[in-house]
Amino acid sequence: MTATTVSPADIEEIDEALSDDRPWITIVWNDPINLMSYVTYVLQKLFGYDRPTAHKLMLDVHQKGRASVSSGTRDEMERDAARLHTYGLWATVRQD
Amino acid sequence: MPPDGDGNVGHYYRFPDCFRRTANGVELRLPRWEGTILAELVRLIDGMLEPPPVDDPLEALVGLRDTAPPPPEDPALARLLPDPYPEDPLASGDFRRRRTDDALAHKRAAARRVLATLPGPGQALVLDEETAQDWLTTLNDLRLVLGTRLGITDDNYLDELGDLPSDDQRAPFIEMYDLLTNLVDNLVRALF
Repeated sequence: MTATTVSPADIEEIDEALSDDRPWITIVWNDPINLMSYVTYVLQKLFGYDRPTAHKLMLDVHQKGRASVSSGTRDEMERDAARLHTYGLWATVRQD
Repeated sequence: MPPDGDGNVGHYYRFPDCFRRTANGVELRLPRWEGTILAELVRLIDGMLEPPPVDDPLEALVGLRDTAPPPPEDPALARLLPDPYPEDPLASGDFRRRRTDDALAHKRAAARRVLATLPGPGQALVLDEETAQDWLTTLNDLRLVLGTRLGITDDNYLDELGDLPSDDQRAPFIEMYDLLTNLVDNLVRALF
């Protein structure tokens, strides 16, 4: 039996696959129904942002169409998205 | 997002403030017509929030799904349960598998708490923090459902729908939408 050799290139590929730990982010999208005051309040309530920060994030959503509101592990982002959905915000999750 | 209107977002008539912040919490009063309409709307939405069927009796017993329920066909329900992975149907299905039941249960509980805390005519009710949040999310869910049914796609919905002839089928629903919009804005300002 010959010994199996693993080349440095193989190791690099495996490492990349195991440690793709770019953070995940939750994105809130603009929609024609939710009020600006409401979105600001929800961002404050769910993420603990102070009012000026929440207001600015809301304006980003409104003017740019979307804004990233939190980052972390995929699991954490799914929980954040689910909480935002409880409040009727349109939230998606993706890797940064 | 539709722009704020300094507390008077609707255009039909000036609504009195139904929610007021007091020392004991948020106080709620509802005029008779508004209370009646709200009760009807909340019951309607409660009817939409039943969990999708589970075929396997063991899954139903344990309360954990093995397979993903399909995405909601009703666009109003789909708006209440947005897809967090619009470009990845597998991830989206798995999210639904794990989270749809809880999401719907939470919304049903909130709607039922609203029905249980509807003040009668002339009554004032003080809402604790949790109940106030349930009112906020339920009122907003009603806006999402109505807004979706009305086909609102523009941030400036009054441009789209503000001048309908009074015999347009949508006219009474726009009044309800305005009522809900004012209530949400009013409650948010009482909570800030």
